[in-house]
Parts: sequence; C-alpha cells; structure tokens
Amino acid sequence: MPAIKTDVRVMPIRIAAKRISGTFLLVLFILAACAGFMGLKLETDKILRKKIPGSSIIYVPSGKFLKYVTFGYSGLAADMIYLWAIQYYSTYEIADRFTYLDHIFAIIAELDSRYTDPYEVGSMIAGKEARDIPLALRILDRGFAKNPDMWLFPFEAGHIAQTQLKDYDLARKYFGKAMVLPGAPDFAKRLYANAALKVTDFKTSWETWLEVYNTATDDRVKKIASNHLYQVKAEMDIDALKEAVAKFKEKYKRLPDELSRLVTAGILTSLPRDLDDKDYVYDAATGDVNPPTMWWKR
Amino acid sequence: MMANALKIEDLHKSFSTGFIPKKKEILKGISLAVEEGEIFGYLGPNGAGKTTTIKCVLSLIFPDRGTVEIFGRPHLSPKAKEKVGFLPENPYFYDYLSAREFLSFYADLFLLNKAEKEARIASLLKLVGLEKAAGLHLRKFSRGMLQRVGLAQALVNDPSLVILDEPLGGLDPLGRKEIRDIIVRFKKEGKTVFLSSHILQDIEMICDRVAIIIGGRIINQGTLHDLISEKVLFTEVTVSGLVPAELAGLGESLSVHGGKVLLKVYDEDKVGRVLELVRDKKAKIESLIPRTETLEDIFVDMVRRT
Amino acid sequence: MKVGTIALNTFKEAKRDRILYLLFFFAAVCIVFSRVLAILTVGDRVKIIKDVGLASISLFGVLMAILMGTGLVYKEIDKKTIFTLLSKPIHRAQFILGKYLGLALTLFIMTVLMAVIFLAVLFFHTFKVEWPMLTAILFIFLELMLITAVAILFSTFSTPILSSIFSLSFYLIGHLSWGLETLIKKVKPGTGRTLARALYTFLPDLENFNFKTEVVHNLPIPPKIFVYSTLYGILYAAFILGLAIWVFRKRDFI
Repeated sequence: MPAIKTDVRVMPIRIAAKRISGTFLLVLFILAACAGFMGLKLETDKILRKKIPGSSIIYVPSGKFLKYVTFGYSGLAADMIYLWAIQYYSTYEIADRFTYLDHIFAIIAELDSRYTDPYEVGSMIAGKEARDIPLALRILDRGFAKNPDMWLFPFEAGHIAQTQLKDYDLARKYFGKAMVLPGAPDFAKRLYANAALKVTDFKTSWETWLEVYNTATDDRVKKIASNHLYQVKAEMDIDALKEAVAKFKEKYKRLPDELSRLVTAGILTSLPRDLDDKDYVYDAATGDVNPPTMWWKR
Repeated sequence: MMANALKIEDLHKSFSTGFIPKKKEILKGISLAVEEGEIFGYLGPNGAGKTTTIKCVLSLIFPDRGTVEIFGRPHLSPKAKEKVGFLPENPYFYDYLSAREFLSFYADLFLLNKAEKEARIASLLKLVGLEKAAGLHLRKFSRGMLQRVGLAQALVNDPSLVILDEPLGGLDPLGRKEIRDIIVRFKKEGKTVFLSSHILQDIEMICDRVAIIIGGRIINQGTLHDLISEKVLFTEVTVSGLVPAELAGLGESLSVHGGKVLLKVYDEDKVGRVLELVRDKKAKIESLIPRTETLEDIFVDMVRRT
Repeated sequence: MKVGTIALNTFKEAKRDRILYLLFFFAAVCIVFSRVLAILTVGDRVKIIKDVGLASISLFGVLMAILMGTGLVYKEIDKKTIFTLLSKPIHRAQFILGKYLGLALTLFIMTVLMAVIFLAVLFFHTFKVEWPMLTAILFIFLELMLITAVAILFSTFSTPILSSIFSLSFYLIGHLSWGLETLIKKVKPGTGRTLARALYTFLPDLENFNFKTEVVHNLPIPPKIFVYSTLYGILYAAFILGLAIWVFRKRDFI
C-alpha cells in the first residue's frame, strides 16, 4: 500500500481541478478543430476545380421513369428540378448547358404538366439564350398540348413566330388559337387580324377587324379598329388597282395616265375608294398606287 | 492510521426520468466506511440504491453531492481504479471471445506484459475452475460459468478492493458455496471485499460488517455482532415419549410426528421445566436448539418499519 | 496501448457483423454488374464501369460506416458490457478513440477489398491497372472516416435508428453544400448573409473528398487541394470525435 504523501484534503481539490482542466482542454480542442476546418473550407473554396461542362448531369433519366421513381411526389420533384434548372441555366460558365435543355424541360413537363412557369421560362431560355427558335416553339407547343385551356402558350408562340421568324402565317395560326380561349386579352384578336393581313388573308383580316370594331368597348379601340379596317381595305384596293394597272400595261404596253382609264378600258367596273371615301393616289410615272392618308395618321 | 479501503460520505444522486423530466432522488445521503481486509456486506431490498451506490464508486455514474475515497484516493483519480476489481450484476460479456481472449483483453487494459499476462490468466482460470473451458466462446457459457469468468475478470489486476454486485444471484447451492469459499479466500490473501446481496444467509456466513440501505438511506451499519443481539428468541425442543397434552402450557406445539413432538419454547425457565418433565417421565430429548436473532429477522423488521 | 487494445477488440467484433458481408456482397455485385451494363451502352463503355464502380464503393462504404458506427457504442451501453470496461482504469476518451480506430481498421480493409475487385473488373476491360482510380478511392475512404466519426457521435446518446437518420442527413447536407453557396449568392449583403455564410462554412462540405469526376475524365487536379482536403477531413473528424468524447464523459450509465 503506497504511503499517502499529500494531504488528503488537498487531493480532492487537485483532482477536481484536473477534471475541470481536462474538460477545459477538451472544449479548447473542439473549438480549435472547428476553427481549423472552417479555415480550410475557406481555402478549398478558393481552389477552382475543373468541371466537365454539363458534368453535373451525367445520365439524364427519362421523365416517365422519374415519375414512377418519385412515388407520387412528382409535383415536388418537378419543383426541385425546375429550381435546379433555373440555377443551372443562369450559370453562364457552363458552355454547353443547352445540350439537354429540351430533355430537362420535357422531364419537368412529364412530372407536372400543369405547371406553367417552366414552359414559359424554358421557351425563353431556348429562344433568347440558346437561340433555338424551333425548340422554343416546341416547348410552348408541349405546354399547349398539355394545357389546351391556357391562351398564354399559343399567344407567346405567336409572338415568337411573328418577331423572330417573321412567319406571319404561323403567327396567324397561333393567334387564332389564342384568341378564342377564355381569358385571352382583346388584342389577341387584333394581333391575329394583323398577322392575317401580313399574309394577305384580306377576308379574315377584314372580318376580324370588323368584329373588333363592333365589339369595342371604348373609343380608343374603336379608332384602332377603324384605322386597321382602313388599312385592310386600302391594301385590298391597292392590290386590286395594281393588278388592274398591270393588266392595262400588258394590254396597251404603257401605264395608264390616270386611274379612271382603268374603268374606261373595261378592266375595272368602278374605282375603289378608301374607307373615308377618298380617291387613291396614283403616280403615272411609276405606276404606284398609294392611299391618300397613312392608316395610322387618321 | 490505516486508511479505509472505501469511504463514502454523504452521497446524493437523483435522476430525471420521463418525458417531462421528473427528478427522483435515489441516494439520499449515503455514508459508510469499509476497513481494509474485511468482507463488507451491503444489504437492501430491490430498488434501495445498492447498484447506484456501487456505480457512483466506480465513476460509472457521477454523484450530485458527496465524496468517495478508495484507499484514501479520490475515486475519480486514475490511479484509484488500478487496484479495484468489479463484477456487475447479471454480467454480459463479449460473447464472441473465448474465455482466454476475454481475460487477455482486460489484462491488456492493465498493461500487463506477455509473461505476466499468461501466468495470471492461467492462475485465474484455475481459481474459478474454468481451465477446461478456456478456449470456449463465452456465447456457449452457462449462467454459472459466466459468473465465474466474470469473477476472474474482476481479479485480473490482482486488486486490493473487490466490489461484487449480487455475486451469488442465480447460482445453485454448490455454485454459491464455491463463490463463498473464493471470497473467504480473498480475505485470507489480505484483499478487501465489498459485496451487495439480498441472500441474507450468505451475508451472515461470510461478512464481517454490514450496512443496510433502505429507500436510499443507510438505516444501520456495523459488525454483525453489534447488529444482531445474542439474545435467544426461542428454543426448539424435540421430545419423544410424551404426548402434547402433557406438554401443554410449556410451549407452542409445532408438529407431532411418529411419536416425536416439536415444541417451540419461549421462556428460558420453561425449557428447564420441560427437561424436568422429560426426566420424571423417563422420556427422551431428541434435540434442543436455541434460536437467536438472524439477519433476516432484523432486515424484515427494518423494511417493515420504513 | 490501451486505445489499441480497445481498437483491436472492436475490430474483432465488427468483422463478425453480418451486415458488413451483405453490403460487401452487394458492392461486389454492383461492380461486376457495371461490366454487364457497359455492354449495353453505346459509346464509352469504360466510363460506365468507372462511374458505377466508384459510386458503389462510395455508397456501400457510407452504409457500412453508418450501420456499424451507430450500433457500436449503443450496443455496449445497451448490453451493459460497458460496465466492466469503464470500471477499469481507462479514460472515457480512450474508449471512444479505441472504438473509432477499430471501426476505421475494419472499413479500411473493406475499402481495400472493394478497390481490388473494382480494379480487377477494370483490368479485364482495359487490360491495364487504372492506378488513378486509387486517388478517388483514397478520398472516399477519408470521407468514410468522417462519416464514421459522426455515426459514433450520435451513437453515444441516441438509438441506432435515430443515429442512422442523423448520420445520413449529415451525408446529404455534406453533398448539398454547393446548393447553399448558390443560395447565399442571391441574398443581399447584410447580417442575414453573414450568418448564412458562417453556417455554410461550418456545415460539412463532402464534395472536398469527391474526385470521381476528375479521375474518370482524366482532368488535372491542383495538388494544393489534396493537402487541404486531407487536413479538412482530419480536423473535421477530430472536431466530431471531440464532441463525442465530451458527450460521453459526462454521461451516467444507469
């Protein structure tokens, strides 16, 4: 039995102190380790790791597969993937991020076909950033196919067709679909009429503008409609007049010196007048026919 | 001054249990002292706090208040455990180890060198009678064998203080006798033994001093001699050749069997009168046993009182 | 050394755990199956084998670490073998460290075995030993070491099921750290952003140990990151183990 060298009263204090200092050292160690790894994290963040473009998506599964796998949480999955897609497509460093654009938005559509934002945003990314207009239209078509009651999809598609592709026939088709859907704004009709005019579908254009004129609720819209009616008539008439002038030239090998000659030559039964019942202006030197006023200046 | 092997002063411990923590006080101020070289018995009904006290001593549990000293050292000091051996109640050991591997593991924790280790393990296995089962996996051990290998484990460091929590529980009478003999042998070797139990006869047989704990408090403490008076409670007399009618008034007739009458006599002088009667009637005394107070009597009495 | 004794004992116990062999079997099947998958693809076949192989080692390694780690300390407490152990003159810290090192040893051997199978399968395809794979595997092992520490931490105070869930959450959070970074960029500068930044730096970034892409595509890896990532792993594990020891030290074993 070893002899007790120290005072028994001192021992408890020393042991207690040892235990407290032991705890103290432990806490110090924990804090030091914490500070250490946090500092290292800041360092590792600075180091740029080479990323394979699009490497975050190595294998992209099909939407149908995902729908089964997400066990009824497909709506949530759609939200998550959409959120991720937004971040992904805002990361401009990833050079070939558009490779799977169609596929990714197709997956979102498959998981939650009634979620409208992804169609719009997807088509916007396709059109404005990836510069793939057909894809932009495809995405909107997909949206419309799954949501035939949403006027927004054909409306935006019409816009894209009109402004980017300058394909007025396509625009006309889209606006035509849009304007009959519930909630569509009035000017959908006007855009339709306009597009129709651009493809020289005078009949449709006239009829539509007439409808707008008759159903207009305020004077401003009425004025617009009447201006456009003027425009349609003017174009129609000018077309007819130009055709008559050409016929005259063919027959008499020269341009008529005035429009009335067309009637006397028997080519036209009467001279059309513009909507304000004014004559069209004819330039005998060039054979041009123009309306007396510009339709938007009326 | 010889230090106490174990000294506990004013030990308090409460536990908060339940979903909404409710404090329950288990130890309400335990104080006791175990002298070196003695066998100390710690007695109490289930739930009194015996195991909790032992766990506080071994720093498995940290007390709220109070001090514990082992051979004069505060119990939390690392050196304090070097000379302590412990066998828990219903021990469960690593069942994938063989007995030898098991003891070797603990021997390594005491940093015994290879030679010492081999020698110690061999002698321990012999002590507890498990030499033949040395290579057997603990999974295959019976309850009694587990108890014995547990005892071996408690001795791996040749401790000066051996703490045993219910060491005789679940053993058959032969097993109990073996363990009792081993414990007595510890005393001969100069070890101190602290054992908790509720098998009172065994405590009575081997303990020098005893502390009784009931409801978290030490009710009584001291040598068996002090606790149990030598007073004779009653005398059991077995007589043949007399009929109970003749013995009426002298004592309580317990049984009549094959001509023998067993009588419980309370008064000392009544015993004398029985003897006179036997002599006069030429009958025979088969046996005469004075019954003194046992630990059980005291214990039951104390439990009943609290 | 006392820690070594406990470590060796833990290893003996761990290698008997049947879950280990089940997971190992599945990992082996995955790696071999990737060979079959490779036959079905069009294009670069080796890439699939490498991707599936590394993913298997990583995934099953994590499962092993979590399933074994969460049971390790809990079993000792539940089965009460801890009473005899802690009544011996060892610090509770030595117990935790011993358990950790024992499990580390087990996982190391498992990782080596899986790596051997993986390299063998690759060898039969490309007829050369793809040593660069070992870089990725080494760091997978480092990640496993960190996950093990986390599992042990939770095991000191929680049941195996809850501990597994927490450990798995740690793993998921660790791999979504970049998401938090992206979010923070969108927050206006101010106290909110600073707090978020602090949280971001504190939360684990397990992508620091992910070199799978670089290794599969043969991209260059800046040598600095090896040093930093390793230190990061070591310090984070030290932090977690420190917490585990702290929790364990104050605990009453009823």
